[in-house]
Amino acid sequence: MILIPCPNCGPRNASEFRYVGESIARPDPNSATQEQWRAYLYERVNPSGWTTESWFHRAGCGRYFKIERDTNSNEVRAVRLEPAAATKGES
Amino acid sequence: MARPAAVARSPIPAFGSTDVVAGWEVSQTSRTSQGATLELIDCMPLTKVLVRGAASGAVADLLKTPFGRASRTLSGVLTTACRPEEWTLYAVPGSAPRLIDKVTKRVPAGELVTLLDITHGRTLVRLTGSRGPDVLCKLCGIDLSDAVTPTGAALRTSVARLTVELVRDDRNGVCSYLMSCDRSYGDYFFGALLDAGTEFAIEPQGFVLPGI
Repeated sequence: MILIPCPNCGPRNASEFRYVGESIARPDPNSATQEQWRAYLYERVNPSGWTTESWFHRAGCGRYFKIERDTNSNEVRAVRLEPAAATKGES
Repeated sequence: MARPAAVARSPIPAFGSTDVVAGWEVSQTSRTSQGATLELIDCMPLTKVLVRGAASGAVADLLKTPFGRASRTLSGVLTTACRPEEWTLYAVPGSAPRLIDKVTKRVPAGELVTLLDITHGRTLVRLTGSRGPDVLCKLCGIDLSDAVTPTGAALRTSVARLTVELVRDDRNGVCSYLMSCDRSYGDYFFGALLDAGTEFAIEPQGFVLPGI
């Protein structure tokens, strides 16, 4: 079992969350090339080690947040809420 | 005297004979003289109103219930805050228009607040008895000890693989949990709780006014 520390609700079973994916900077759609946009949409680093990723607490507070997780041990070392505009999720 | 017509039914099938309370068809209570030590009550007829608004707005000032807590700051209304900037009000059956009107009058012009009567959209049950935590421990991963979830604690979590609003609301010093899930899962949820409580001699009970 993976224990995810939600910044609002505290540690909960990972089954309460939806894994959103690796945190990737969104390129400017007005200036990005097709290659940059494709890389943003489809390419992932998938490292063996520490990575920053987004999760959504679907069975809890309904907020998106970012965590730093070690993909080998599932250790989590930093958690923060997404910026205000993106924190309100589905009902 | 003729029995009044029911206009609404719970998604939880009736167990035993039925009665009509505040327009709802409910199962009749079957309490023994000594009373069961663990009861599961179908509280579907209770009014449920969803409120969404800013954490620092007029609604938050009116309800005075921070995230993760439940309180009775409004007369006869149980206010729960299971999600940030969102509250659910529970009150006696048929009081939704009065509640919505009461909150609306306190909201200043220009402040965005959502008020929604979700009475028929959510299944509501109450689990009462000292063995209540033992039943829930079989279905969810929350620490239900008094130190972590005392009376007045409100949270949203997974119970029996459903997203459930779980509120610790003790009655007369006896451990009691109010739980609500989407209406369509009501039958399954009630059955899962009864199944988990079989070893603790759980008894299903019908709704009795005021119920909150």
